[in-house]
Amino acid sequence: MTAIPLWVRRPAGERVGWLRTVDHKAIGVLYIGMGVAFFAVGGLEALLLRAQLATPEAGLVDPETFNQAFTVHGVTMILLAVVPLLVGFANYMVPLMIGAPDVAFPRLNALSFWLSLVGGVVLYFSFLAGGAPDTGWFSYAPLSERAFAPGTGVDYYILGLAVNGAGTIIGAINLSVTILLMRCPGMAISRVPLFVWMTLVTSVLILGAYPALTAALVMLLVDRQLSGHFFDPAGGGQAVLWQHLFWFFGHPEVYIMVLPAMGMISEVIPVFSRKPIFGYGFVAGSSVAIAFLSFGVWAHHMFAVGLGDTENAIFSATSMLIAIPTGVKIFNWIATMIGGRLRMTTAMLFAVGFIAMFVIGGLSGVSLAVVPIDLAVTDSYYVVAHLHYVLFGGTMLGIFAGAYYWFPKMTGRLLSERLGRWHFWLTFAGFNLTFLPQHWLGAVGMPRRVFTYAASTGWGPLNLISTIGAAILAIAMVVFFVNLVRSLRSGEIAGDDPWDAFTLEWSTTSPPPPENFATIPAVTGRRPLWDRKHPEARDKS
Amino acid sequence: MRPPADAIGTLALIVGVIASLIFIGVEAALVYAIWRYRASRNLAGQPATFERNRRLEIAWTAAPALILAAVFVLTLGTMAEINGAGVAPAMRIAATGHQWWWEFGYGGTKTANELHVPVNTPIDLDLTSVDVIHSFWVPELGPKMDMLPGTTNHLRVLARRAGSYEGQCAEFCGVEHAWMRIRVVAQSQAEFDSWLAAQAVPAVTQGGDGERVFFLSNICVNCHTVRGTAAAGTAGPDLTHVASRATIGAGVLPNDVARMRAWLADPQRYKPGSLMPRVPLSDADLDALAAYLGALK
Amino acid sequence: MTVDRTLLGVAIFIASESVFFLAIVLAYVAYRDAGLATAKANLDIGRTAIFSIALFASSGTMALAARARSGTWLGATMALGAIFLVGQGSEYARLLGEGIGPGSALFGTTFFTLTGLHGIHVLAGLVALAALFTANLGRPRAVRAVAWEAVSFYWHFVDAVWVVVFSVVYLGTLL
Ligand code: HEA
Ligand code: HEA
Ligand code: HEC
Ligand code: CUA
Ligand SMILES: [Cu+2]
Repeated sequence: MTAIPLWVRRPAGERVGWLRTVDHKAIGVLYIGMGVAFFAVGGLEALLLRAQLATPEAGLVDPETFNQAFTVHGVTMILLAVVPLLVGFANYMVPLMIGAPDVAFPRLNALSFWLSLVGGVVLYFSFLAGGAPDTGWFSYAPLSERAFAPGTGVDYYILGLAVNGAGTIIGAINLSVTILLMRCPGMAISRVPLFVWMTLVTSVLILGAYPALTAALVMLLVDRQLSGHFFDPAGGGQAVLWQHLFWFFGHPEVYIMVLPAMGMISEVIPVFSRKPIFGYGFVAGSSVAIAFLSFGVWAHHMFAVGLGDTENAIFSATSMLIAIPTGVKIFNWIATMIGGRLRMTTAMLFAVGFIAMFVIGGLSGVSLAVVPIDLAVTDSYYVVAHLHYVLFGGTMLGIFAGAYYWFPKMTGRLLSERLGRWHFWLTFAGFNLTFLPQHWLGAVGMPRRVFTYAASTGWGPLNLISTIGAAILAIAMVVFFVNLVRSLRSGEIAGDDPWDAFTLEWSTTSPPPPENFATIPAVTGRRPLWDRKHPEARDKS
Repeated sequence: MRPPADAIGTLALIVGVIASLIFIGVEAALVYAIWRYRASRNLAGQPATFERNRRLEIAWTAAPALILAAVFVLTLGTMAEINGAGVAPAMRIAATGHQWWWEFGYGGTKTANELHVPVNTPIDLDLTSVDVIHSFWVPELGPKMDMLPGTTNHLRVLARRAGSYEGQCAEFCGVEHAWMRIRVVAQSQAEFDSWLAAQAVPAVTQGGDGERVFFLSNICVNCHTVRGTAAAGTAGPDLTHVASRATIGAGVLPNDVARMRAWLADPQRYKPGSLMPRVPLSDADLDALAAYLGALK
Repeated sequence: MTVDRTLLGVAIFIASESVFFLAIVLAYVAYRDAGLATAKANLDIGRTAIFSIALFASSGTMALAARARSGTWLGATMALGAIFLVGQGSEYARLLGEGIGPGSALFGTTFFTLTGLHGIHVLAGLVALAALFTANLGRPRAVRAVAWEAVSFYWHFVDAVWVVVFSVVYLGTLL
């Protein structure tokens, strides 16, 4: 009757505890559990922010607490919630989708997870050790130097991010080797499901981006602990160097957070449209273009730094270019739906919600790439609105789509569709209520990262609306948690293939056996399971 | 020249219209697809099987590319314009960020938190910082620009209407970032000139009780300058004409003698974390001090 | 063609390590001018070149070791690697003695960070070599060929990084 078993089975049949498991599915579940837990924590921190900002000159929290809250909220959501959730689904699903018994390096896989988690724990330990970091999630120097941040918060930030990042890097090595070398017979790289494609591209992004962050963290550590001068203007160093290194990581990071979610909806939309994905090659290829470009746009976070018009113009152009491959994806998803027979399940609702909301965030992103507009609204709530439209409206909705889609595979039970609809519509309403008004707040002059604002600014009413939206969003998340827990215990039994789906993970039992497949499958097309079910209408590619 | 804010406004309008059209187009296509092809409507029909169309792909790659090329050209034009487009500034003002207040320098004359400019005059601000990164932002004046320690950035401003403008530091700079507000006062050239002349005059030494407290145990004078007296500290704002400013503490309190007294009694209460410490003073000393500072017009 | 998993994994790992070193090297180069005078006055190119030759030679002995799966050559590699570290240690001691440390000025900060991180990688490589060495002493046949290749792959990488570091830091002072 317990919903969550206390042990995991090994292929040989014996049981091992969660602490010692090296099974990719169990590790996937661990990652997802970590992500969900930190998402709740990060969400509660966000609620604290919103509560304080609901009215002008409120005194709910002191400025230090507020500054810690948004710093830790940003780091938590990005590195401890979203990335683990995406990596978790990849861990669970990629081997199943390519017909492999496990990942390439199962033991290393466990190490990745534990490093990621320990990184998070180290970061949160700072609260007990005298104060969390309070310098913002990108911790600009020299504010993060010892002279201005004498506490230990930033040191925990450095350590936590470095350890977490090491885990993520090792995980990316593992996933890329798995995808490159462990596909089942017949699964050419041009036939892998798009989620697998995007996981591969994401892994490459991780491998190129995270080491730059590690390098920056090491330099900051040298500055703080060995009195170095990397980012210390008084000692000849340059504050901007930190920004270059951080955003060389930070920008690819945002695509690391969106590509796998795009992969998820690229699985969901065809299945619930009853059609193959439209323009497979273009959806896959555009990811490569995005990955390539994303290493050349970082300074769009630094337009107001004073790099000079030439630099700004170049980075503006590259940033705009990214809109093109992203648009290709959007159009192909819609073209997939056209002519289909759409089953508007909760998973499909979230996938469609992703497209609808992500476009808003994408378009505001393009407006930020326009240098003069950015100079007007950078570091304001307009940016906060942009980032939540892409990260919540995009990534999180994509993750929810993936969750409703794959939960039955992972647990053997369906999530409740009735609660799912409540979850979707409350999220949709709460989300837009929270973040739409922030565009205006930013445009009329409300900077981000302020613990309060004067009543005379007139920002009160829109902030109140935003806070009400956040409360609705919180209710939506509670509905989701209730759905998870209830369905885990007593959800409808799913069967192997509840959605009449296309890809290999649905050809095995739900949940899959320790060895994944009784015999390693062989495939002849992009929709192996469809081919098996409809031999008369096999895919040609 | 056109005020930078207007140039940006025009550009934002154009980009906004383009974005709205794209937004409407994409959402409409999405809604149409859901409405037209939902299973309950399409009961008997089999789903189509088309899965690629090269021409369509080229079209929806090329169309955004063309739109963006146009936006980029406009961007370049506006970038040049807001930098001054070759028009030389009529004057330069030094603006320096401090944790959590502003210093403005007109030649040798220093003042704090309140920037006075002549109206309708192109001005370049020379921006720098003495500690962490700040960012100068007065939304109605247009773009913002970061202030970095060790470097000087320039920002062209042009105030079109007389009156006051509100702004604030836009780069997170530590605990009191929220209360690092700016007031810009744009005045006619004549008013501005007389304001500047008044600011340049050293304070008239009153020699009263307040001044004695101000110099007491070298506390206040350690951090503050009052030109015309021996006080020459630089850690805090220049107080030579502090009473001429509209607010205390970069916007936390309106400036009058009562509020001044309250601020001096405990700055940390109004601006917790501020680098001005609470100096324990008797009630009588506080009264005298507030009166003294209140007279520094 | 079948690619070995482990080797591919190591190759990818090395690629991401390269990004890491690239960032640090770029920081060094960005601050090169500020520290050039100190570097010219204090770095001992001659001595370091000799120790560098030890490291470069160790790549050769490593290749021989991997080809023949020879414990002797492996031992030689470890010895050469250790000599390099000793050399680096003595260079550090001398500089610290002259008052140049990571906190003294930009040159110290960048120099110690870059060479120190490389040194840590050499140390990690030595640990890997030692592990291989012991495994090979015990049951040579049980050691998979790919273990030899993987370790030598990594060792060559560490060596190659030093080529860059030595050129940028030491030879750079001659320009
Ligand atoms: C998932 C995460 C994600 C994604 C996908 C994006 C996508 C984009 N972002 Fe965003 N961004 C963030 C996360 C993300 N961003 C975060 C977290 C920050 C803030 C960091 C911080 O400061 O804390 C940020 C900040 C940020 C800035 C800096 C703002 C500032 O601080 O001043 C800029 C500036 O150029 C920018 C641009 C863009 C662009 C051009 C895209 C493009 O990729 C968008 C492309 C998509 C579309 C355009 C929509 C679909 C396309 C079409 C329908 C085709 C037709 C379209 C056109 C012709 C325009 N982003
Ligand atoms: C993926 C990333 C992500 C996500 C999902 C979110 C989600 C949310 N964010 Fe966040 N946000 C960031 C990334 C993200 N954010 C980043 C990077 C920053 C910048 C930080 C910086 O400036 O340094 C930021 C900053 C930021 C700010 C600006 C702070 C400032 O500048 O001062 C605000 C303010 O409104 C905000 C609000 C919210 C809200 C209301 C949500 C909501 O969507 C949250 C919804 C979730 C919940 C409400 C949780 C519900 C849980 C429960 C109710 C608990 C139940 C518990 C159990 C069952 C155990 N965020
Ligand atoms: C350790 C340094 C320090 C000492 C000592 C100090 N101040 Fe300050 N003072 C500051 C700083 C810094 C500020 C700016 C505070 C802010 O806005 O965050 C300030 C602000 C002020 C202001 C407001 C100025 C404005 O334009 O808003 C007044 C008035 C003032 N101080 C008076 C005094 C008096 C009187 C004393 C002595 C009793 C004193 N200060 C002692 C550092 C100091
Ligand atoms: Cu100064 Cu924010
Ligand atoms: Cu970016």
